Amino acid sequence: MKNNSLFSAFLAMVLFTGCKSDDAFDGPSLNDLYGQFSIVEPLTTSNDDVDFSSGQTTFFRATFSKNIAWTLHITGLSSGAMKEITGFSNILDATNSTWNGTTTRLPLFRIEDCAVELTFENEADTLRDTLHIAGTRINEGFLLSDFENGVNSGWSSFAQTGANMSFGVLSSDSAAQGNNFFDMAGVVDWDWLLGYLYLPATAYGSATFPLSSNPDEVFFNTLIYKPENLNNGLLLFQFTEDDNLDGVFTSASEDMYSIQVSPTEAGWSQLSVNYSDLVTLINGSPAAPAGNGIHEPHKLTQVNILFLKNPTSGFAHARLDYMIFTQGAPLIP
Amino acid sequence: MKRIIYSTLILTNLLGILNTIQAQDEKKISFNGSARSIFYGDKLTQDTSAIDTVTVPKLNSGHVLVDLGINIRPNKSTEILAMVRLRNDYGGFWGSGVTFDLRQMYVKGVIGGIVKYQLGDFNYRLTRYTLWNSDQEVISNTPQAFQQQTDLINYDHFYSADHSWRQQGASVGFGLVFNRFIQELQVNAVTTRVKPSDFAQTSDRLFSGVNIQLVQSKYLEAGFNYVNMYDVPGTSKNTAGFQNPVYTGTLLAHYGTKNWEAKLDGELGKSRTHFKNDLLAPDWKDRFMDGSVSITQMRTGLAFTVNSKFVGAAFRSPGAQTKRLDYNGLPQAYQRITSNQDLRQLTMLDLMRESSFYNLQLRPYLMEFAPRYDNISPYGDATPNRQGFSLKLKYAKKDVPVTAELTHSQLQEVRGEGTLTPRKFNRNTLTVDARVNEFFKSWKKQIHFTLSYRDDQTARAGEDLVKAVDLKTNCIASGLEIEVLKGFDVLLGIQQLTYKGFDYTAVRNTYSEIFNFTEYAVDGQETLQAIGARYRFSEKTFLSAQLNQFHSKNATSSLPDYSIKQFMLLFQMKF
Repeated sequence: MKNNSLFSAFLAMVLFTGCKSDDAFDGPSLNDLYGQFSIVEPLTTSNDDVDFSSGQTTFFRATFSKNIAWTLHITGLSSGAMKEITGFSNILDATNSTWNGTTTRLPLFRIEDCAVELTFENEADTLRDTLHIAGTRINEGFLLSDFENGVNSGWSSFAQTGANMSFGVLSSDSAAQGNNFFDMAGVVDWDWLLGYLYLPATAYGSATFPLSSNPDEVFFNTLIYKPENLNNGLLLFQFTEDDNLDGVFTSASEDMYSIQVSPTEAGWSQLSVNYSDLVTLINGSPAAPAGNGIHEPHKLTQVNILFLKNPTSGFAHARLDYMIFTQGAPLIP
Repeated sequence: MKRIIYSTLILTNLLGILNTIQAQDEKKISFNGSARSIFYGDKLTQDTSAIDTVTVPKLNSGHVLVDLGINIRPNKSTEILAMVRLRNDYGGFWGSGVTFDLRQMYVKGVIGGIVKYQLGDFNYRLTRYTLWNSDQEVISNTPQAFQQQTDLINYDHFYSADHSWRQQGASVGFGLVFNRFIQELQVNAVTTRVKPSDFAQTSDRLFSGVNIQLVQSKYLEAGFNYVNMYDVPGTSKNTAGFQNPVYTGTLLAHYGTKNWEAKLDGELGKSRTHFKNDLLAPDWKDRFMDGSVSITQMRTGLAFTVNSKFVGAAFRSPGAQTKRLDYNGLPQAYQRITSNQDLRQLTMLDLMRESSFYNLQLRPYLMEFAPRYDNISPYGDATPNRQGFSLKLKYAKKDVPVTAELTHSQLQEVRGEGTLTPRKFNRNTLTVDARVNEFFKSWKKQIHFTLSYRDDQTARAGEDLVKAVDLKTNCIASGLEIEVLKGFDVLLGIQQLTYKGFDYTAVRNTYSEIFNFTEYAVDGQETLQAIGARYRFSEKTFLSAQLNQFHSKNATSSLPDYSIKQFMLLFQMKF
């Protein structure tokens, strides 16, 4: 009797085991790999008059027949700035296409109209739309200058009297941000220095810059322009610290950290350097710091910008725009 | 009240060992082993208008080998075996081509008359879902004319009829016999080393298992099994460690009368597959259930079995899912053919005779398989992602020299691959085995006829541009052994495999996760025919000569149709 019950129970289990399949599948979707691509819903913009300066964002909507690698290009019709967003999905929505006004390829966006273009890997289809930027993005940080109002009156500068010299603020559509930038150019065949800008903290109303004491959190950022076919320009950025806080930088006993860059990419590019990565340079070579050897951004008293070139190398040219200290991360333009 | 537990500690198989040892007590040292000589003469013919001036059409190969084992019994409860293999390939003279290997070595015995143990090399098997060496595809249970060659491969790789895996390590076992409620309790444990450490990035990988089998009565048995394949931390600089524990429970119940016998057989369990300290690795947990009920009528000899199974998509059991065949290899004979020297795809002929495709090591991942040969159960009964039922009708009656078995299986995936729609699988098989001579009282010599037929179908509906899956495999084999003179047999055999259709095959990463699919289209036929003669010197010694003709047609391959004629001469002796 006991065995019969056992048999019955097991028989029931054997016979009535259902064949229900999972509601998920293993591996990539076959439809994505082999299915036909088509546009289910066209490209639209959630906010086509977006004011990034007030914290607004915009995102894009579109639906396709299968998951596919897509690329969204937003191009400023005035600035030429370009933002690229990529993804792999069958839908564009706020989760994967939100834009907060940042730039992938410099310059920065301005208040302008933008063309939006959506393309797909291995497919000929291109979807297009437009939007208007009513206000540009505001980056957090301590702005040294964007040159929109010329140079700070507290700065000091020097320029050699060479040939074809240019050493001042210019206005042009080709600015990296806004309309102005600082232009540095000329031929000086007797010295490495073409000119310099000294930016003391006192020009901003205090003895030191309002920066964190943690050098790992502080980043110096600027946008640099290099003309095509001119590779001889050198930009030296110096950061002088008042180690003993006596109100005076003493080069023999206090730290001066530097970074020297020779831009390689033609056009605008971004320089972002962590304050703790700055080193002491003497004639371009690393050397021991003269002061306490501690990176102390909160004791930074002055930023020097020197435009250099080999005296025998002829005409040199560079531009600077949008110099800003950021905290926690490099500038996201 | 008189209480349980007294008892004699000992087990049946234990007694077997003791009996054997005692019976041969006088012989402290004995020799055993086997010897064989095999020669292949092959000729390739290609059905192509472009003459192949590159491939050498005739190949000769073969070898002679001797496995010599020394059994030492230093005392009544201990046995030591060491077996060496001497092999000389044909064409190897004066030491060239000669190999000398240690084939196996073990020590086994009984401690205190209670605990049996074995150290070294041994074959071990547990259940179909824990440690089980499933048969290779297509060429298992073939006619005797082909089986002779397959047997050589099985012998060389220690594949035995009990589906055990050859392992190296230690095993112990003991039993308890009770006088009330429970008849017997058997406990077995094993630990083997699957892969040695390289002291850099590869850790020692072990396989351990425990089996507790409870025999309640002649009607009821239950068991618990635990196996785990795992990396031993600290044996290399790699901190990531593979772990794959599997827990199963088994139940076996018999009940019968004079006219009827019923049997219930089931196993269920779960597995977990994970890599410690590897953030990219998956952590899979899944389960399985497999149950059968069979009823046999003694009068008619008919037995009907119904089986239902569910094996989860993420159920992993390396001990049961490791394949004998490793499809990553290439054929040794005629590896490239045609004037373009295109690679030749592995065929039924290669599976039958080429040792290099076969695997001895348990693998922690799902190995590649050939859907054209078996798309339904490539990893044996433990093939993951299968659910459904099968029906079996078997005829086997005492004093009737014919047995037959007819099965129908209907399975589907638990979880779709690349789509929510699961593949559906149908399999029908028929086997017939007849000792024909017993129908004729006057014919005393053996006439043995075998027939097997398998029809597999895989199907899945298409969606938009995702093609429908429709793959069919059909295999028919028949063999005849006729004893014309005493000990002298004529062997005939034919096996034809046809495959046609389309499927998507999963491409897996090192964790066995599917990351892509490739289109798999086949349309081919492989035919193997044999005629031969065998002289049996004794039960353990024979000489066999055969002519085999293999023909391959493949409409989806760049290779032309081709044939390989094979002459085989095999002498085999066991002692």
